[in-house]
Amino acid sequence: MFTKKGNPDLLVFTTVIVLLSIGIIMVFSASSVMGISDFRDPFHYVKRQSLWAVVGLFAMFFLARIDYRIYKALALPGILLSYVLLVLVLIIGQDIGGAKRWIDLGFFNLQPSEISKLAMVNFVAVYIANKREKLRLFWIGLCPILVILGLKFGLIMLEPDFGTAVAMSFTILVVLFAGGAHLGQLAGLGLAAIPGLMFLVFQKPYRMRRIMAFRDPWADPADTGWNIIQSLLAIGSGGLFGLGLGNSRQKFSYLPEHHTDFIFAILSEELGFIGAFMVAFLFFIFAWRGLRIALNAPDLYGTLLAIGITSMIGFQAMLNMGVVTGSLPVTGIPLPFISYGGASLMMSLASVGILLNISRQSKT
Amino acid sequence: MLFLFLITLLAGRLVYLQVWQSSRYTQLAQAQRLRPTAIDARRGSILDRNYKTLAVSAGAYAVYVLPHLTRDPVATAMKLAPYLAMSKAEIAQVLTDQKTNIWLTRKLPIETAKSIDALGLPGIRLLERPQRFYPQGTLAAQVLGIAGIDNQGLEGLEFYYNQYLQGTPGRLEKERDATQREIPGGIERLIPPTNGYDLILTIDSTIQYIAEREIESAVLNSNSDSGIILIVNPNTGEIYANAIYPTFDPNNYQSYPTENRRNVSVTDQYEPGSTFKIFTAASALDSGITTQERSFYSGRSWSVGGGAVRSWNGTGHGQISFLQAVENSDNITFAQLAVEMKPELFHPYLAKFGFGERMGIDYPGEGRGVLPKPGQIRHGELLQWANIGFGQGVAVTPLQLIMATAAVANGGALLRPYYVAEIRDERGKVIERTQPHTLAEPISQATSKEMLEILRSAVVNGSGGRAEIIGFHVAGKTGTAEVPEQGGYGDKRIASFVGFAPANDPAIVALVALHNPQTDVRFGGVLAAPVFQKVAEQTLEYLGIKRRKASTEQSIMTVVPNVRNFPLADARQSILQAGLQWSYENPGQIVIDQIPGPGSRVAPQTTINLYFYDEINPTIVTIPNLIGHSMRDASAILSEIGLRLRIIGSGMAHRQTPQPGTKVPVGSVIEVEFLR
Repeated sequence: MFTKKGNPDLLVFTTVIVLLSIGIIMVFSASSVMGISDFRDPFHYVKRQSLWAVVGLFAMFFLARIDYRIYKALALPGILLSYVLLVLVLIIGQDIGGAKRWIDLGFFNLQPSEISKLAMVNFVAVYIANKREKLRLFWIGLCPILVILGLKFGLIMLEPDFGTAVAMSFTILVVLFAGGAHLGQLAGLGLAAIPGLMFLVFQKPYRMRRIMAFRDPWADPADTGWNIIQSLLAIGSGGLFGLGLGNSRQKFSYLPEHHTDFIFAILSEELGFIGAFMVAFLFFIFAWRGLRIALNAPDLYGTLLAIGITSMIGFQAMLNMGVVTGSLPVTGIPLPFISYGGASLMMSLASVGILLNISRQSKT
Repeated sequence: MLFLFLITLLAGRLVYLQVWQSSRYTQLAQAQRLRPTAIDARRGSILDRNYKTLAVSAGAYAVYVLPHLTRDPVATAMKLAPYLAMSKAEIAQVLTDQKTNIWLTRKLPIETAKSIDALGLPGIRLLERPQRFYPQGTLAAQVLGIAGIDNQGLEGLEFYYNQYLQGTPGRLEKERDATQREIPGGIERLIPPTNGYDLILTIDSTIQYIAEREIESAVLNSNSDSGIILIVNPNTGEIYANAIYPTFDPNNYQSYPTENRRNVSVTDQYEPGSTFKIFTAASALDSGITTQERSFYSGRSWSVGGGAVRSWNGTGHGQISFLQAVENSDNITFAQLAVEMKPELFHPYLAKFGFGERMGIDYPGEGRGVLPKPGQIRHGELLQWANIGFGQGVAVTPLQLIMATAAVANGGALLRPYYVAEIRDERGKVIERTQPHTLAEPISQATSKEMLEILRSAVVNGSGGRAEIIGFHVAGKTGTAEVPEQGGYGDKRIASFVGFAPANDPAIVALVALHNPQTDVRFGGVLAAPVFQKVAEQTLEYLGIKRRKASTEQSIMTVVPNVRNFPLADARQSILQAGLQWSYENPGQIVIDQIPGPGSRVAPQTTINLYFYDEINPTIVTIPNLIGHSMRDASAILSEIGLRLRIIGSGMAHRQTPQPGTKVPVGSVIEVEFLR
């Protein structure tokens, strides 16, 4: 079970460690004011984040030593488990702001959609690796995956968590593409998805309002436009070099979610364009190395799993930074390695552990 | 590669936001954090001409709460309760209210505020909110007006000069978070307030006080509805005193009727009656229509322009000179002068005297008065102008009347009256100084000089006798105006006197007017002239005007004193002092006439015959039959014999009360119903 082959990809490892460190520093900077006012402890949030970082790192080191091939066996159980959890969260989940996304385990808030993403990536990788020749046939190849994906998409939308559902779908599309699915079929699928997405947008008035707010945040600055305006003010005030670490002004109750989904805005305000670009560049390095690992993986399963994990994290980062900079409509999705939140951090680091193991078994 | 593409887009977006648009977003972010708190400017003071404070903004504090900073509302409320006019429960209620900041109380004295500050309670803040204070209470209240709690003038000079008084508020800008809490180590900017300017008035507190005291006692003694005294400097237009009774205390204005706050001497107009004859006389002299010596015949009534003018005493004064006409206030003479001048000549004089137009005093809501223009009156214009000749059919503000009189007194210049002499900043530097301003020159200096003698004579020999002050020669004119009510004149009167002293070189002009007095005799010469005498004497004394020494010329002849309008007892004493005797047939209260007249030179111990108001019995007339006459005819018939018409309906007369043949006193009202 334990592999003792080559060394893991050091650049991926370093990149993740740097992002994680930046994350902890930024969580401290962004949350200390809120920590004082809510808990009389400036370290309240950073203590928890550090704890999960340590736990996550242990998971990462552990998984880096476990042969990724054993997850082949988990493909079907993983999917089944994630379905159970996704249904369970709708029943016993914590209702936070009208959405049920977490199951409170006392010491840990379990986020079924996070597990679901990884399980889905794994399943698709196994499926393609086993039935590659059938993939190009729509009904017996692509269709089952689409049914499973559609069901998950639907369950996640019931929470609802539009951002995660979309990020997951994009990831799976990339994996399918890399696995050799018929391009025409994928394109047709994309076209077919448009009316569906449109329906989902029009179905909930708040999604429509968010899209309108994205087009013109100043049309409703006190309500739907508030988040994005405050985010833009934070990023813009940062300028080239930033206000300096800890000197954010927007974190003083102006920018909501400033330690979670919108932490990139505070980072841009304090560290300026230099800091913000560096973070974006680190994610680029991560993606580049992730794809390299995939290309050099010993088997097709490893390639697809590596692509899935890399794009899962990469897309999420892009989606988050896109939202925070006002380039995409607002949707609640954390920035991997940096945003405050134990569940997301755990899953990201665990995924990196798997990725590192694949890199250790590199062909070159 | 897809990722490279996306990262490039993102980097471009970051450059756009953080480099291209950075300053714009920085400013927007700062603007939403820097919430300014206004720092009130201190409102300027109002001082009298001798720098006595009439209105000042004194320090007072407001207490407000920042609920998120308070700890333990109950304990805090307990500590605060002794200092505030609120119960512990009320305070605790406010403290637990989750608003961002709440006023607990305002208008707190400095000492109390300091005590609260010393408690050092978290979340309890003090803010200076100056309060307007009028240290002289009711003094010149209507002139000063009132100011509201937020440093804005609401009435009077407080309103008119608000822009000068209020100053410019300053700002304290502090960085605050979205819930209004201060951001630690944030930017702090103080823009200090500019305090308001001070006003230095033309009002003299001492003269104002004298005038207020005298008008109060005059109103109370005569049971009048109200009264005013105006005193101005005829050479500059400065208003020394502007007393109105009933008055109010601006410190506590809510507990007085709002009409007490009106500065009626500027805002209200009334029909002036006989005091207006001054300007008819001045116009007639200046235009050469008459001389002092010209003779007039004053009968019981004079028919003019389809109507009639009646003599005020019901009998007329016979063959009299122009001077005597002024002394006796003869309506018929002045009606004749007005008719002779015609509106075309008379109107320009009156307009130059300032009637019918605002004078531009520095006070809000100045009245215009009413002065008909030539040709403006369609029916009976000549009769109307005949009436204007003795002060009916026009309306003037007390201010217009006194300034026109000042023009007569000062050599012929109509000056703009003003309340504010100087505007100064808080360091005492003069910002603006009001200069005397001539509005018009209605009459020549020669006419003015002649008018001084004539009006002096009206006091020495005429109806204004009781205004005379020993040693200060007074000149002036009485007035007893009838107050117009719908359809005619009712029973209400305005008794007034306008005059100036010393007559040869006037230092003050003063107007006394009593509205609707409830005494038996309500003539201006009886009610208003003595008030003028008291006020003017004290004012001239105060101003340091020298009294003339009693005439040193030796004469075996005695000059008969003017006892017209004096009560019987005072008249007897005055005659005895002059070394003369008195007699009368039927005793009365107030002397209406004396023979020989005032100023006559007679041998010592000559007997002066006195006549009283009570003796004037109105002539009894028989009511003619008016049935079938037109309204115009009925009016002419009645006015010819001295009766008044009350019209009901329109068309031809078909019923009248009382019936024809009834005997009634002159001046009675005949009610006639007209039908088409």
